[in-house]
Amino acid sequence: MRRFRSRAAVCISLLLSLIPLGAFSSSATPDVVLATMQRELKRAGTSLAKTDPAPYFMSYAVSDIDGTIIVASNGGVIFSTSVLRRQGDVMMHVGSLALDNTHNQSRASGIVSGTLPLVNDTDATARVLWQLTDREYEQASAAFAKVKTSTAVQADEEDKSPDFSTEAPLTHTDATQFPPFTGQKAWEERTRKISSIFLKYPEVYTSVVVFTATADRSYLATSEGTALVRPSAMVRLVIQAETRADDGTELMRVESFQAATADQLPGDAELEAKVAKMSADLKDLRAAPSAEPYAGPAMLSGRAAAVFFHEVLGHRLEGHRQRDENEGQTFTKKVNQLVLPAFLSVTDDPTMKELNGVKLAGYYDYDDEGVPAQRVVAVENGVLKNFLMSRMPIKGFSHSNGHGRRQPGLMATGRQGNLIVTSTNMVKDSELRQKFIEEIKKQGKPYGLYFDDIQGGFTLTQRATPQAFQVLPVMVYRVYADGRPDELVRGVDIVGTPLLSLNNIMVTGDMLQVFNGVCGAESGQVPVAAAAPAMLFSTIEVQKRRRGTERPPILPPPGVGTPAPQASGAQGGKS
Amino acid sequence: MIATRRRKFPLRMILGLTLAAGLASEATAQEKAAQASTAVSAAVASDPILKAMREELDRSKAQLKMDKVAAPYYIEYRIGDVEEWTAEAAFGALRQDQKVHGRSARVVVRVGDYKQDSYYGPGMGVVEFAPLDNDPVAIRRELWLATDAAYKAASEALASKKALLSQFTADQPFDDFAKAAPLEYVGSLVKLEFSPEPWKESLEKATNLYRSNLKIQSVSGFLRFRAVNEYFVNTEGTSTRQGYAVYSMQISAETQSPDGMKVGRTPFFVENSANELPPPAKFLADAEKTLTTLQALADAPMVEEDYRGPVLFSNDSASDVLETLVGQNVLGIRPKPGESARTTGEYSSNYKGRVLPTFMSVVDDPTLQTFEGRRLVGSYEIDQEGVKASSVPVVTDGILVNYLLGRMPIRDFPESNGHGRAAPGQPPVPSLGNFIVKVKEPVSEDELKKKLIEMCKQEGKPYGYYVETMAGENPRLLYRIYVSDGHEELVRGAVFNELDTRTLRNNLVAAGNDPLVSNRAGSVPTTVICPSVLFDELEVKRTDRKNAKLPEYPAPALTPQ
Repeated sequence: MRRFRSRAAVCISLLLSLIPLGAFSSSATPDVVLATMQRELKRAGTSLAKTDPAPYFMSYAVSDIDGTIIVASNGGVIFSTSVLRRQGDVMMHVGSLALDNTHNQSRASGIVSGTLPLVNDTDATARVLWQLTDREYEQASAAFAKVKTSTAVQADEEDKSPDFSTEAPLTHTDATQFPPFTGQKAWEERTRKISSIFLKYPEVYTSVVVFTATADRSYLATSEGTALVRPSAMVRLVIQAETRADDGTELMRVESFQAATADQLPGDAELEAKVAKMSADLKDLRAAPSAEPYAGPAMLSGRAAAVFFHEVLGHRLEGHRQRDENEGQTFTKKVNQLVLPAFLSVTDDPTMKELNGVKLAGYYDYDDEGVPAQRVVAVENGVLKNFLMSRMPIKGFSHSNGHGRRQPGLMATGRQGNLIVTSTNMVKDSELRQKFIEEIKKQGKPYGLYFDDIQGGFTLTQRATPQAFQVLPVMVYRVYADGRPDELVRGVDIVGTPLLSLNNIMVTGDMLQVFNGVCGAESGQVPVAAAAPAMLFSTIEVQKRRRGTERPPILPPPGVGTPAPQASGAQGGKS
Repeated sequence: MIATRRRKFPLRMILGLTLAAGLASEATAQEKAAQASTAVSAAVASDPILKAMREELDRSKAQLKMDKVAAPYYIEYRIGDVEEWTAEAAFGALRQDQKVHGRSARVVVRVGDYKQDSYYGPGMGVVEFAPLDNDPVAIRRELWLATDAAYKAASEALASKKALLSQFTADQPFDDFAKAAPLEYVGSLVKLEFSPEPWKESLEKATNLYRSNLKIQSVSGFLRFRAVNEYFVNTEGTSTRQGYAVYSMQISAETQSPDGMKVGRTPFFVENSANELPPPAKFLADAEKTLTTLQALADAPMVEEDYRGPVLFSNDSASDVLETLVGQNVLGIRPKPGESARTTGEYSSNYKGRVLPTFMSVVDDPTLQTFEGRRLVGSYEIDQEGVKASSVPVVTDGILVNYLLGRMPIRDFPESNGHGRAAPGQPPVPSLGNFIVKVKEPVSEDELKKKLIEMCKQEGKPYGYYVETMAGENPRLLYRIYVSDGHEELVRGAVFNELDTRTLRNNLVAAGNDPLVSNRAGSVPTTVICPSVLFDELEVKRTDRKNAKLPEYPAPALTPQ
């Protein structure tokens, strides 16, 4: 199951559990860390070459994480801390390119992680790396023995590609030092203030404002000679508000903003307007009728279409899924075949920094395996051309194309960066609605559904589960053929199977819209973007969303004179 | 009452931990409860957090009610404010330096009645983050939603509990929830008091000793300084505020014997204040000693022969053994609904039976503040269920006479004795406070050693065993004391066979006059006070654990300093 979401704040406990503990007191000089890594890596390489089985590839990755996180809720700060930590990952491939310890389900044997000294103490850093390397060798060599046995006794695999690709070594050192974040107190005040605006809206039961500022530096040294030092900095503000309809349906609105520095985030007036809009949306959603199961014409806004493509197509283009025999492999054997309407093309381009003035969250220059990011044309005029490749080869694609991504502590897999959907069958956005209404009439339906905002979604790609996807639309309207005003509905889930759904796209709008978010999968959380034009589908199928079991709160909020909208008599049963 | 106690503990005052208390007499508190708990003392009203909690609690008590579902009969709010600093160093370099401040709000709503209620599964409470600001609206909003969720969960929990119990015929002869006298107590707030730099330096210096002990594979040091302030209110009329601080420090070292056996040492220090912890020079000296004994342990001969005979435990190792075998078994933890045992522990059916030799008694006394001048971290005034702590004799002259109880009664024990304890955000469970092992006619450790030698002589054994420290259930520093000349030899790779409650009852033959105060930082701080003990017969044998591989290649060479 993979999720694409801007919902960093979905669960505060989860969020807090993600905060790594640690702290720096050093002004890191990159070459000390890198030099220590390289020296120790070389020593390990020479020493372990004498072992049997011996590693044929090793890499050390170090992440300096300097982060601040502030969480406010109901007008009060509930968490505020800054974190400094230096994590070391030791990765190892034991055996040979053709078959090694990371084969199939044993992939996790390729990595161990530990905490490194915060100060640039060469001796202490080297010693921790040595310990981690020894542990990793023990794990990897044991795993390799098992891999050899199981490949010997099991039936041949369909895809006999090697377990690892060779890539050209490279050196790139970016010495940029992002200034440490200094606005903790100011942002505590700011998040408190934003959060307190929600108190004006009794329909909003709970809300969270999460601010994070991170300045990271990642180091990579490989036994092939690659040496990379890359700094990055990002601030993120996520505002989430929730309520519950009388029948128990959980309703949520999320807005997220990200920028390179805190002063590039929206100002007070804009944020206040967002909060007001979110609150108004929630009030409308509470009052909106529940959606009915429906199959018929639908229009997706550009943002909604972007999420849709990320889930439905993007995850299935990830290279490693094409050889994992537990995967559904929807597209594995469809290379050079039509998989989308011929007017659509899809690229994944991590090298793109911004689109139509919007910064793209999936930008990077080198991937986490030290391969330069590349623009990959995955689908050209409807025809499948390529996959998003890490250093795990698949049949017909023997090299990485710079999409090997991971969060520290996990093995990289092929992942999306900036997924961009373009169209040659476009009409002006304003005309798209007209075409939509024509289609509704043509199909003899009383209404079609317009998906204005999709929160995120998940997709099942494993064979053991139905090849289905589900996205979580939040703002969905019935658009009536007879000219009645659009009507907001709640509790809608789009359902369907990928190939079928994608081929129901009839025509698109002419403006690309961007959805920035964080995507979670096997190799962890990585920032991504997806961009697409608005789209008209001849048919989309929706189902009623599984709803919560609880009634709205029994008592009105404290300190608020007016009682909360009262629950209807029936008590929500377990669904 | 508290005022007199306060005078006894000048150290607390130095730390700003003064218990400036407004503990009402029980009579007044009960009167207050009779007035539907709306009237609170000025002390409660003057604390913004307690006040907000009280207001929201009163509102919930008066108004919270769903159609066709019983109103709660009991509601409690507990807010735990935790300020914590953790730091860690390895090989002379700091790896972690983290300050965290957080507040949890735990809400328990009970439906049903004291006899049978909803405190089961999802009905055991809801935990949320609480705002760090003392803003009453923000605090009350978190409590409001948590109360709502807890009430709904409680009604479902009661239904599932009743369904479960309908499968059993036996009627539970005790209440689900013990009544407790309401009380008010507003203690002083506690805060962390230390300056970080010397402590970080102390960790770095101690762990830097690896440079002069190169055969030791891993050296790290850790410290956690934690101040907890807890606010508690319930619908019985109890309102309390109290705080405690725990300062702990530890050094860990590991290495391997030439045959690959992993050996380690992790001595720790736990105190009520930073200035009671070992100062840098002492910490460094202790670390040096730790590394020296660890190296000696790595080089020590293996225990090859099985041994059955006398074994002497130092006060340090004995405190671990008695804490585990007696302490954990006197906790009055009720088994799952429908199960008939009195407790979940091994002393479930030993009430009024002998569990220790008749010369030993055990009391758990959280009201004791110091022992032979040393402060005890297991002391507290009121437990996390709002019940006043009391001194509880659990074993008297070898006979089990009581259990440590919270507000969940067990057979024959209908009331709490103030031992329902919990870390912030966690559900209270019966726990130790100051667990004290007392001995009639104790003897010195030297005499115990003589006795050990004497017994071995009689049995014709060349040596007896002396356990200095434990690692879980097995010895870490274990010595043979030779009968011939009394010399001691460190050995490794030994495990005990049948070191259990039965051995404690039947084979513990003497105890020392050297009670050790062992402060421990667990989920709640506890203290164990226990002397050396001598067993006339215990089995010591070779471990059957496989050795690990030695490192594939040597540690990196040090750069000259």
